[in-house]
Amino acid sequence: MKRSFFRTREFTIFVAIVVMFIFFGVFSERFLAPNNIKNIFLQMSAVGVASIGMTLIIVTGGIDVSAGSIVGIVAAIIGKLILLKFPVYLAVLFGIIGGTLLGSVNGALVSYLGIPPIIVTLGMMSFLRSIVYNILGGKWISTLPESIRWIGVGTILKIPVPVFILFLLLVYFTYFTRFRVTGRYIYAVGNSVEASIVSGVPVRKILFMVYTIGGFLYAIACLIILGRAGVIQTNTGSGFELQVIAATVLGGTSVLGGKGTVIGSFLGSLFVAVLSNGLIIMNVPALMEGLIIGGLILGSVVIDILRTRGEA
Amino acid sequence: MEPILKAVGIVKNYGGVRALRGVDFDLYAGEVHALVGENGAGKSTLIKILTGVVPADKGKIIYQGREVKIESPRMAHELGIVAVYQEPLVYPHLSIVENVFIGNEIRKKDGSIDWDAERRKTRELLKMLDIDPYFIDESMGSLSTGLKQLVLIAKALNYNARVLIFDEPTAILTEHEAERLFRIIRRLKENGMGIIYISHRIEELQEIADRVTVFRDGENMGTFRIDQVTKEKIIELMAGKTLVEKIEKKIQPDYETVVLEVRNLTKKGLYEDISFKLYKGEILGFSGLVGSGRSEVMQTIFGLIKPDSGEIFIEGRKCLIDNPNTAMKYGIAYLPEDRGNQGLFRRLSIKVNTTIPIIDYLKRIFGAVDKEREEKIAKEYFQKLQIKAPSIETIINNLSGGNQQKVLLAKWLATNPKILILDEPTRGVDVGVKAQIHEEIVRLAESGISIILVSSELPEIIKLSDRVIVMHEGKITGRFDERSSITPTNLLNAAVGERIVHLRK
Repeated sequence: MKRSFFRTREFTIFVAIVVMFIFFGVFSERFLAPNNIKNIFLQMSAVGVASIGMTLIIVTGGIDVSAGSIVGIVAAIIGKLILLKFPVYLAVLFGIIGGTLLGSVNGALVSYLGIPPIIVTLGMMSFLRSIVYNILGGKWISTLPESIRWIGVGTILKIPVPVFILFLLLVYFTYFTRFRVTGRYIYAVGNSVEASIVSGVPVRKILFMVYTIGGFLYAIACLIILGRAGVIQTNTGSGFELQVIAATVLGGTSVLGGKGTVIGSFLGSLFVAVLSNGLIIMNVPALMEGLIIGGLILGSVVIDILRTRGEA
Repeated sequence: MEPILKAVGIVKNYGGVRALRGVDFDLYAGEVHALVGENGAGKSTLIKILTGVVPADKGKIIYQGREVKIESPRMAHELGIVAVYQEPLVYPHLSIVENVFIGNEIRKKDGSIDWDAERRKTRELLKMLDIDPYFIDESMGSLSTGLKQLVLIAKALNYNARVLIFDEPTAILTEHEAERLFRIIRRLKENGMGIIYISHRIEELQEIADRVTVFRDGENMGTFRIDQVTKEKIIELMAGKTLVEKIEKKIQPDYETVVLEVRNLTKKGLYEDISFKLYKGEILGFSGLVGSGRSEVMQTIFGLIKPDSGEIFIEGRKCLIDNPNTAMKYGIAYLPEDRGNQGLFRRLSIKVNTTIPIIDYLKRIFGAVDKEREEKIAKEYFQKLQIKAPSIETIINNLSGGNQQKVLLAKWLATNPKILILDEPTRGVDVGVKAQIHEEIVRLAESGISIILVSSELPEIIKLSDRVIVMHEGKITGRFDERSSITPTNLLNAAVGERIVHLRK
């Protein structure tokens, strides 16, 4: 665990973030304004929360492209229940349960039927997005109650709620992946299914579990998104999965499975948020932003694969 | 004293193949018991049964005085029976500490992993093996194979293993690493561990083993104290006295015409100074143990491996073969050993697989494939080789192993080769199909094709070859030009490293 700290991906990306701060800070005073810094953290919190789940999934060698659609369906469930005059806490509860269950459906298909994760989650992505359209019928729901808005704009101990949630989850999942046996088994499965079976690691249970945790965390991310936007649309969460996968991969999680940390993905999310915030402040057109971030993802995957080759 | 582990009357059949025919085997605490035998003699099967990878059909295992049913590798671990394989099964990205402890973690009271205790224990375990534990936080993937093996031994110690099984541990180790391993094995032995040691290197048994058991064809041919048996006796038992009938050719090879000549071919780490001639219409057998470098030499001739030095002549002309396409242009066809990965497109039809190497020649204008000719050629070989399938459109995956092998043969025959290299052409094929393939090989030689036959099965080599070359650890150790000199004992002696040459008078 105590491999040379300066050689880790986490350190590299941390340095990159610091460099960007200096660069954008020199370029524009507005960038370093406390309000803007707070904004960056608010912007990254939903992606950060979801990327925790994505990290676990990618570490097992899988992928989940249904994250955005699960966010969409959780939003639709909550919106519909609120329109039906359910109490807010119940609507939120059902939303979270719904997200978790859908994650576990992904997990069941991947682990017990052995279907490739990309196929399972791609199917789920398209399937759920359609259902969202059917539930909402193309309409917006903009009359969200204050209690949901609080999740986006409120504070706990002077810390914005989304950031508070993110840090809580980060601390827990860092502990989980480092010190709990179940957490370490996720890495075992991602390193070698064959060796895992011989060591008695319950491979199927672990696979089932990571997708389920993923579903749960996407639902939490959805609450943050709703709280911040104050509105539910049919395309809520569209493209979210890409941002999450980008943050995770940038943060050093290997697409080949077996390595990656929750903290790395947090830094990856922060990196993407700082970059897009800075680019906006520098008046870079939105089209260029996609180009830069896409290039970074491809670059980091290429580096990862070349490195793995060197090791093998 | 009672043995710590005893296997009685173990029977195992794979389909129709009788891998073990009621063998007995015992192991005492504090001894190294070597297990030797040719490929396919049943050694690996016994190990798989003892470690819970496959169940036995019949027989019982008595461990520490009571009968046990070993149902999974996990259970074998917990009982204290652990195998260290030649290619270690590891978690490459995880640290050494974790590789030792996954599945067997040290936990604190609250259930979380006690990393400090695990690291401390890992250090202790490695120190017990006389290894400086400075690297325990490195990732497993960054270690050499030798160190990986040692980490796995540490892991076994952590399970309080009483029985440790090594499956050809020194085959991929450097000399220095092998010596270190022997030191460790001796120390484990002194501490009362029972060790089963599988090896093809007969010469190293004197150094490490206390007793040796020889397997042949799924039977135990005898167990001896190492100081009461000679190397010659062991080899004689491995080879057996079974007489193999040689197939008599109607047309003899033309020993005036050299088709292929290889001179001083060397590739560091794989093979060294390989020279031989291949005559028109002959079958040249390449014998030796798995890993002796035979396949690598063949892959070099076929342009898959670039040699460091040496020359290849085809029909007297010096050739530079740097890829398979060039090799095919010179009329060389190569039937690889691992047909699953190297030879066939498993989800495509017999027809496609047969014609794929010659598809370029079947093109008409605008590059469209001449379907009729393609079909005709595929049908021709389909019938010639008597492939058992409904039609040439049958998918490879639906064929039996023997028929897959025939398709592979058809594929290369379609190229009209002058030189045909067959690498383990009948591995995993049942007896009937094997005989058919053998006949076909002889017919091909009679038709003037020169054949190199790489095989680990002595009977196959003896039955088919006109001449035989034996390799051992990358070098040619035996040359047998006279058919009468091609005997199991001669071949095995050369295969374990003795130099034997029987040239034509």
